[in-house]
Amino acid sequence: MSSEPTREESAGLMKYSVENLVPFGPIHPALKEPEYFKLVLEGERIVQVIPRIGYVHRGLEKAAETRPWVQNMYMFERTCGICSFVHSLCYGQAVEGLTMYEVPKRAKYIRLIIAELERIHSHLLWVGLMGHWAGFETLFMWVWRDRELVLDIVEAISGNRVHKSMNAFCGVRRDMPENMEDKIIEKMKYLAGRAQYYRGIIDTEETMLERTENIGRVSADTAEKLCAVGPMARYVGIQHDIRLNDPYAAYDEVPFSIVTRNDGDVLGLLRLRLDELIVSTELVSYAVKHLPDGPIRVKIPPIIPAGEHSAHCEAPRGEIFYYVKSTGGRTPDRVKSRQPTMANLPTALEILKGQTIADVPVVLTAIDPCFGCMDRMSFIDTETNHKWIWSGEQLRQYGINYYRKRRTKN
Amino acid sequence: MLVEIFEAIVFPGVLFTIGMGFLFDWLDRKTAARMQGRIGPKITGPSGILQPLADFLKLLFKEEVIPSHADKTIFLFAPALYFLAPLLSMLFIPILGLTPIAGFEYDILAILFLLAYAAFVVAILSYSSASSFTTVATGRLVLQYVSYEIPLVLAIITAVLYTRNLSVEGIVASQSKLWNIFVMPFAFAVYIIALMAELEKPPFDIPSAKTEIVAGWLTEFSGRALSFLKLTKEVSYVFGSALAVSIFLGGPLGPMFPGVPTAMLYFVYFMVKLLAVGFLIFVLKTALARVKIGQATELFWKILTPVSLAQIILVLVLIQGGILVVS
Repeated sequence: MSSEPTREESAGLMKYSVENLVPFGPIHPALKEPEYFKLVLEGERIVQVIPRIGYVHRGLEKAAETRPWVQNMYMFERTCGICSFVHSLCYGQAVEGLTMYEVPKRAKYIRLIIAELERIHSHLLWVGLMGHWAGFETLFMWVWRDRELVLDIVEAISGNRVHKSMNAFCGVRRDMPENMEDKIIEKMKYLAGRAQYYRGIIDTEETMLERTENIGRVSADTAEKLCAVGPMARYVGIQHDIRLNDPYAAYDEVPFSIVTRNDGDVLGLLRLRLDELIVSTELVSYAVKHLPDGPIRVKIPPIIPAGEHSAHCEAPRGEIFYYVKSTGGRTPDRVKSRQPTMANLPTALEILKGQTIADVPVVLTAIDPCFGCMDRMSFIDTETNHKWIWSGEQLRQYGINYYRKRRTKN
Repeated sequence: MLVEIFEAIVFPGVLFTIGMGFLFDWLDRKTAARMQGRIGPKITGPSGILQPLADFLKLLFKEEVIPSHADKTIFLFAPALYFLAPLLSMLFIPILGLTPIAGFEYDILAILFLLAYAAFVVAILSYSSASSFTTVATGRLVLQYVSYEIPLVLAIITAVLYTRNLSVEGIVASQSKLWNIFVMPFAFAVYIIALMAELEKPPFDIPSAKTEIVAGWLTEFSGRALSFLKLTKEVSYVFGSALAVSIFLGGPLGPMFPGVPTAMLYFVYFMVKLLAVGFLIFVLKTALARVKIGQATELFWKILTPVSLAQIILVLVLIQGGILVVS
């Protein structure tokens, strides 16, 4: 035997035999994006989950430092393919905080409408996928057909189905199309009805109940300690919703109430998201009806004054956070973003313990994971599985040394 | 002699059974698609009826990959052994008349043996591919088998006890006045549920749950082996439904009209019943979500086994009381 520790040893896996390890990912039919989870099993029961993230790290934060402020807005919109608008909104609000310009009221309402439409589409997508992961293909097909309605409305407003590119600094790029109010309100009513119908299915369908009830239980204390955000916090009764706690866009002007539940299981998440969907349809209808007149945009100079500012928004999956730092140039000095999946992953791994392998797709996807948004750079030696942490300064020094060495070699 | 060979190999024997397998696959996909608001197969043949055949032929020409850890002998030959089980069993089902192609006095026992044999072969071939997913699938498969087998056999035994006959031919013949489903409705229900577990249809598609263990015990198979394994699943589907028709729905029996060839009438009645049972399973499978293996075992042992035992006792009591007459 060599004295070098094997991969399993250095990962602290010595006490588990290799037969008990089932790899979950990085390529797995239950995961839409690559991410790797090592499941330690006892029979069918999971005793430990070891995540290994970083498969789809794209270096967006670094890329932002080399692009003009405006371009970054559309780049950050591409952080996620589902909740795309809210990323540009949050980044935009962080940058707007550095300027002295006021966002027009009409633009604020349009932002709210798009953000809520996005929430409806994201929740519908998730409910459908939940059906797929629980082996209920019919629910998946039905829900995704209804989702097309939302995408059609979004396309009518913005011209795009997924990446709306609606935001601009201190405003929006396109006005609402004329004569759409009645159509949107009618479709919202229909969607609210469908959501009620799906609530009925979920509450009564025995096979679905068996798969989701009492699965993935977590207490409010644990969720709070592990910093769960969004629906993952609300389903254990924590009043955590940025729309209410720190209103942005036009959320302080429209009447709405957030949904919280005390179930703390996957079924509770399903109910919560469908209830939230109904609230969102009401919000959209209200905002469309009470859309104020006025300009939709204020033009601002391309150079942002020096300073630092942060903003947070309620994405469909939970709180997202953007921090920007400007030195008064054409490009940002630093942009930092934090996605809800990153915040919810510790909770998901905690509730996976004690579940069976059949629950893994259901529980892991109950947090509505978006690994592509979440992936961060971490330092890991793939040979020895050794992990370490560097400060920004150390990383910069490493980069300088690396390129210096390369230059001298050539 | 030639007629017998034709009956065994072409119609209503092996080739007919395989054709029915393709038809069932197409109907299954079409029903599920309609229920889910989709269109389903459409291009190959009229309404896409040839799509299952096209899929089968396409897979035949694909490269076959054998995993390096696999037990090569079993991995290569077990699919063929598995393919035999439902094909052979189908020969015991009367279709064109009251006499099956290969029936004998105790053929119910042979059918029960072939059911066990099929499950055993699947477990072996799943284990021979030696990957993490198939290992988990094998465990689930065996557990599911021991769960559904007892209610399945008890449901068949109910009919045997009632008709005092151990051959499919005898059971079918005894239903000329009253179908068994009216005597033992619960046994029929238990049989259908157990059949869905045997065929790994939702909600019992646990050994091949695609979001958990990729394709279950099929994961490592490719090319020819995969095409034949998929076909075998469909043929088992046909056989399971045909057995339900024979035992509970009076097989090919029905009102006879003078002037029309009896074999044709028998065939039409049989097909109508077969498609009705198939359709029942298509609808159930589309409307339900997958359960977990523990929940499936609980369902079969805690609920369906007592129900089927109660059904047996009820039938016996009714016979003793003279309310039911053994025909």
